Amino acid sequence: MSLERPDPVDDGAVERTPDELEALLGDLVVDRDDHLNAPGFVIRPDTVQETLSVLKEQAGYDHLSVVSAQEYENRYESIYHLKKYDDPTQEVSVVVPADKDNPVSESAEPVFRTADWHEREAYDLIGIEYDGHPDLRRILLPETWQGHPLSMDYDLDRPQIATLPEHANPLQEHHKDADSDTMFLNIGPHHPATHGVLHLKTVLDGEQVIDVEPDIGYLHRSEEQMAQSGTYRHQIMPYPDRWDYISAGLLNEWAYARAAEDLADIEVPEYAQVIRTMGAEMCRIAAHMLALATFALDINGDFTATFMYAINDRERVQDLLEDLTGQRLMFNYFRLGGVVWDLPEPRDEFFSKTRDFLDQLPESVEEYHNLITSNEIFQMRTIDTGVLPPEVAKNYGATGPVARGSGVDYDLRRDDPYGYYDELDWDVVTEDGCDNFSRLLVRMREVEESAKIIEQCVDLLEDWPEDERNIQANVPRTLRPDDDTEIYRAVEGAKGELGIYIRADGTDKPARFKIRSPCFSNLQTLPEMANGEYIPDVVAALGSLDIVLGEVDR
Amino acid sequence: MGAAPAQLFPEFLANAVGAEGLLAEVVSSLIGATVVASIILAFSGVAGPWAKRKITAAFTDRIAVDRIGPFGLLIIPAASVQLLAKELIIPEGVDRPTWDIAPIILPASALLGFSVIPMGQIGPLNIHLADPEVGLALVFAFASIASVSLVMAGYASSNKYSLLGGLRAVAQNLAYEIPLIVTAMSVVIFAGTLQISGVVGAQTETLVTIAGIDIPAWFAFVNPFAFVLFLTANMAEIGRNPFDIPEAPTEIVGGYQTEYSSAYFVLFYLGEFVHIFLGGAILSVVFLGGASGPGPESISFIWFVVKVWGFFLFTQWARAAIPRVRIDQLIEIGWKGMLVLSFANLVLTAVIVGVIA
Repeated sequence: MSLERPDPVDDGAVERTPDELEALLGDLVVDRDDHLNAPGFVIRPDTVQETLSVLKEQAGYDHLSVVSAQEYENRYESIYHLKKYDDPTQEVSVVVPADKDNPVSESAEPVFRTADWHEREAYDLIGIEYDGHPDLRRILLPETWQGHPLSMDYDLDRPQIATLPEHANPLQEHHKDADSDTMFLNIGPHHPATHGVLHLKTVLDGEQVIDVEPDIGYLHRSEEQMAQSGTYRHQIMPYPDRWDYISAGLLNEWAYARAAEDLADIEVPEYAQVIRTMGAEMCRIAAHMLALATFALDINGDFTATFMYAINDRERVQDLLEDLTGQRLMFNYFRLGGVVWDLPEPRDEFFSKTRDFLDQLPESVEEYHNLITSNEIFQMRTIDTGVLPPEVAKNYGATGPVARGSGVDYDLRRDDPYGYYDELDWDVVTEDGCDNFSRLLVRMREVEESAKIIEQCVDLLEDWPEDERNIQANVPRTLRPDDDTEIYRAVEGAKGELGIYIRADGTDKPARFKIRSPCFSNLQTLPEMANGEYIPDVVAALGSLDIVLGEVDR
Repeated sequence: MGAAPAQLFPEFLANAVGAEGLLAEVVSSLIGATVVASIILAFSGVAGPWAKRKITAAFTDRIAVDRIGPFGLLIIPAASVQLLAKELIIPEGVDRPTWDIAPIILPASALLGFSVIPMGQIGPLNIHLADPEVGLALVFAFASIASVSLVMAGYASSNKYSLLGGLRAVAQNLAYEIPLIVTAMSVVIFAGTLQISGVVGAQTETLVTIAGIDIPAWFAFVNPFAFVLFLTANMAEIGRNPFDIPEAPTEIVGGYQTEYSSAYFVLFYLGEFVHIFLGGAILSVVFLGGASGPGPESISFIWFVVKVWGFFLFTQWARAAIPRVRIDQLIEIGWKGMLVLSFANLVLTAVIVGVIA
């Protein structure tokens, strides 16, 4: 069918109007359901693969951000939020309604590998079944769970006991074949290298990894459900701090702030945007420092000095963030339309403290380069291990330092500007090595870029006229966005594209609140990196992905 | 050696009370062995709960134990009580006698090694238990029994991480023991004897005199290349960074010692420290002139202490600074690099000694 369409070249750079897209899709489109951020095309549930292939191959929409699923009174619905890696402002939503009594729709997995986990999650929480999915199992909840928690007829009050499934027998038939003798190994959920409660089902041949399958959900806390039962204005903002809790709090808060502000059409004062930008970059430094520290633990072993050095530096940012927000971890500093309070008094002291930190930072980064990246054993361990080619990274929807370490030049701060980023002078960091080493280098260089951003923000804030220091826009006490408005908005979190999809139903609470976690998509690439490598490389690859289970499981 | 060789420790004891005969020999040997073992165990007792923490803390910008006692020193008795008071958890399915014996073998084998190590003198007392003609071969034999213990622990624990640790221990020891011993052989060629007092004695002469300071003919100065080789192989032998892969807590959760708790864990821990000290002692005997150093011979025990603790400090430094190599890289370094280099060193030394002599 697609062969008949006159579209000779892959012209991802060309921006098409929604009507042109509709023409391209032809009779695949049965209806239009536009979202605030993108045109939405309603298609039949059995044409998902066809539609997505057309959009991917002929219109250049090569990034499936997220699959949001939900249940309506009369139907189920999966939304595929598509973007372009080259220009994420070009978005399109593919809306796939499914039958209320028999919610089945075609799987997008053959077109986008990343749909694998996203559809499993939709099946797990909402109950939509995806036809042609290679492995449609629950992903966040235990396999024995009854019902789908975000579906309408789910009984929230019914207690459920999840029993521990019997341990997989290592000598089962499928672990052995005629030529090799393999061993099944559970890495995690309690293992020093998993950085949280992650469980890797690993099959080994000697020390070599044949197959690794991440098993997640141990830290699932129903964050989406909780956000859906909070009011827009104040009750949701504390939750984002608890997703990526590795001090990336302000970055997460910004994801919600951006989505909700665009949904309710709130303008944020420029002064508040500068403060937000500064705070967010401080969080990024803190998050990257921890990534560096734990990666050193993975490679060097648990007595490494690098870990404490990086933690010391992180501590200094943490102090700044504490001065700014009053909290060390769960900041709850952003408000819709601004921030909760102005910079701490005396302002000069805060500025000089920040500048001290920025002045000392290059020295620290230099020290890390001396300690780890220029160490030959370290290079032996990390260069050309955990290789993630750029095409594979895109296929899995990898973003953030993981994608940039594979040479994918994608950073929402530049490509889909928000806050004050487009006024400032900084660069997007990419490395072409595609290996563990590149991902680490990207983080280390991003720390320096973040420092540049903070410095410019401090300069701006220092000279800001006193009577124009407006930290908060006028926002109604109760927000009730219009019925049936939908939006997907993302920011560049510490780990990548952190997006939020909200559907408003005219009340003061979101009808559907879906979190697009960058770690969730990034973690999916682990088998690609790890298969065929040695156990230590799996540990290194996992460390270089820099996942936070709080954000993976939500 | 200048003066008449000092009496060995058991002989000294027997002579001191004027006893003779087999019984006196046995008793004095036992007393001597107890004293030597106590010294080494005391080293380990200080090293494990206290010195290691303090050293690591100094490397990582921390303070470490300082709450009880001066400089936190009372942590040593406190930690001993705490460790011994822990419940010994015996996992289901462990291979009982093997699992119980493994933690005893590790410290025992390392302690045995000290039977032939000259630990210097305190006054007239020469702390040296025995000086057999094959002393150097014996000490390497004792030291390598340790890997048997690791394999037993890894196998008997009935845990896959332990098994991996045991396998890694074997692979590592095979790859490094040979270069270690071949390098030591080059020293034996110099010294012309396997007897430890002979090896030490060969290092007492003056190599050169620079600005009035006599540089002794320690083999580390005579053949620095062999010294570096030996030091590297020794780090692998005792399993410390960059070669701590049989344990590798961030990969295989502690390897062979994963399933051990309480007293058994303490025995393993102790064994590792004794092993590090034995490694330091061998290094000082073979390359650093044994217990010799400036000053009268009667205080040479101090130099022995300085040397083994210096080596201990070095291992901790490596731990704080050097990344761990991967198992396949380790095997490659061992078989393709170290082995070739150590044989080259051996042949060269043999040729040079042959030409000179």
